Amino acid sequence: MTATMLDCCAIAAALCATFMAGSRHLKRNILFYTLQTILLAFATAIRGSLQSEEQLYLIAIAIALLKAISIPLFLRWIVRKLCIYSDPGIMIAPPLVMHLSLILFACSYFEIASIGHSKGSSMAASASASLLLTGLLLMLTRRTALSQIIGFLVIENGIYLFAMTQTTGMPLIVEMGILLDVLAGVMIAGLVAFRIQKSFEHIDVTQLAELKDE
Amino acid sequence: MTNLILIVALPLLMAVLGFSAHKLPFFKQLIAFCAWYQIGIELFLFRALFTGKDSVHFVDGLVADRTGALFALLACFVVASALCHACVFFKNEGVDRHKSSRRNVGIFFGSSGLFLLAMTLLCICNNLGYLWICIEATTLVSAPLVFYSRDKHALEATWKYLIICSVGIAFALLGTIMIFASSQQQTEDGTLHLTELMARAGTLDYPLLRMGFILCFLGYGTKAGVFPIHSWLPDAHSEAPAPASAMLSGALLNCALLAIWRISQVVVAAGHPELALKLPLVFGTVTVAAASLFLVKQSGIKRLWAYSSIENVGLMLTAIGLGAAPLFFLQALNHSLAKVAAFLLAGNFVQACGSKKLSELKGLLILSPSWAILLALAAIAVTGAPPFGAFISELYMLTKSNEMDLCFVFVTLVVSLTIGFIAVCYHVSGCLWGKPAIASINANTSWLSILIPATLIFLALLLGVTPISKYIIEVF
Repeated sequence: MTATMLDCCAIAAALCATFMAGSRHLKRNILFYTLQTILLAFATAIRGSLQSEEQLYLIAIAIALLKAISIPLFLRWIVRKLCIYSDPGIMIAPPLVMHLSLILFACSYFEIASIGHSKGSSMAASASASLLLTGLLLMLTRRTALSQIIGFLVIENGIYLFAMTQTTGMPLIVEMGILLDVLAGVMIAGLVAFRIQKSFEHIDVTQLAELKDE
Repeated sequence: MTNLILIVALPLLMAVLGFSAHKLPFFKQLIAFCAWYQIGIELFLFRALFTGKDSVHFVDGLVADRTGALFALLACFVVASALCHACVFFKNEGVDRHKSSRRNVGIFFGSSGLFLLAMTLLCICNNLGYLWICIEATTLVSAPLVFYSRDKHALEATWKYLIICSVGIAFALLGTIMIFASSQQQTEDGTLHLTELMARAGTLDYPLLRMGFILCFLGYGTKAGVFPIHSWLPDAHSEAPAPASAMLSGALLNCALLAIWRISQVVVAAGHPELALKLPLVFGTVTVAAASLFLVKQSGIKRLWAYSSIENVGLMLTAIGLGAAPLFFLQALNHSLAKVAAFLLAGNFVQACGSKKLSELKGLLILSPSWAILLALAAIAVTGAPPFGAFISELYMLTKSNEMDLCFVFVTLVVSLTIGFIAVCYHVSGCLWGKPAIASINANTSWLSILIPATLIFLALLLGVTPISKYIIEVF
């Protein structure tokens, strides 16, 4: 239970995101997301024991229950209901996206070094920046509404990892509020995705381009 | 605690009524009535602020100051007006005939209650974490408002609104965490409380604070519709039903800007006004300029008002950048009054003519003179022409930028406001005159349908011709 283990968890979580960038298979993406979130919950628990802060255990449990179990189950249910198992992607081939994500990982290391003012470990900070950037990359290179939601969740994980490793003692009520907002957001976005499938007979959000200035 | 229960009770009741009691014949009127009553409750709770006290305590992290209270009252007023008009609007839509549309209206009114709740809490937040939670909550609960008509266009607008705003606000969360981290550099315990952040502003770590402020600015700026991250705004405003557009434009944008203002206050207190003011100033001016150019080539009446909202967001940001909170509120007040009236009237016409396109809305003066005259007045009020209130606030803004030797801002504002004025007048007058494309209007043009817009325009006029504006600027 050392700080190194926490760094390892953070980097492993970032690597999960990289694997997500390399696969267009939706269920596999959800699986990697689950894994990533479990790693984050684990990292939270480690940090809790390092600083002997009990509220971090609570947050770890809440993350495991809500983000690592409920959200993936909900997303898998949507995948099954909509019968859409893979994402066609935009232009760039998945292996290339994966490499881009690795490059972003390297970039974020230097980027964090250049900010370098927060107290936490710089390894975890660069892992969180990498999660954030990979999440954006996922949102940019994917077509389906579901992948967009997954990309958003990866961004959120990156932000959470930053908060957890670079600050101490975020108020519990704020953390819980954020968690609740994210949960509600995913539920609503999922329902909208259902509606999109129902009225357009596809969930390709790049084709949602009827509204524009003429 | 009692204060908190008092302020959340009615919005929650509105939500419950909307979601569960939509079979009640008069639930719409009941909810609208609740919204008006909420203004009374807020006035009662905030009364101490206007007699000299600096803050009203609700619970830890929820403390109303004068600016917050004024914005909360404004948001509540906008929601009450929009819901009041919505009763007439949905009746003309003929929603009572179908079971499914009655349910949709129920969801609309229920979400409005939650929307009001989120905005009210947002205005009285004294904690950056709660602020973020409230702003994200406003996005989530207003998505059903945009989605009201359940068609393809509404779906597209809702999706864009949800995703673009959520991602934008996610960056604001990162910014909030960075501000929290910046407060932890010199002491062990960090804080998100605004009063505490202001009190120990000198000890905040500047690089982290700067990053935090920029991220928050971009995040909340997405929500406010700042150029170039405004792309969700015209779609959502044009596809939502008119009362919802009015609420989004008249209340939500102000709230997002209030969040930016609050964080910029922290940065100013930390001794870096050059960042805290220059960023809003530059973005505000550019937004005004870009929006006025967009206004020139619009084909839909609601998109026209949406871009005009972006222009006004630019003006309010400029006011923040000039460091003038009273001006910011005054501009917000004027914009809300005029724009809510404009959206509601546009909704009346769209409903009656069955089209949003400016090319198909012709000869409105023949169709319904009272609506058409009010629409013309609303257009003049929105663009900031005398004798309406927006003229005064814009004049103050120009004087102030001139005093501060901000030549670039002054010239850009004058040119853009002129372009905006001409563009809006051109489009609206094109609708008023000419031969009507539709032979007869098929909606009831009773006095109820113009009651709220006429009152709002009258209030905007009062702000322009009486010394109320001056009073607000001085007393603030």
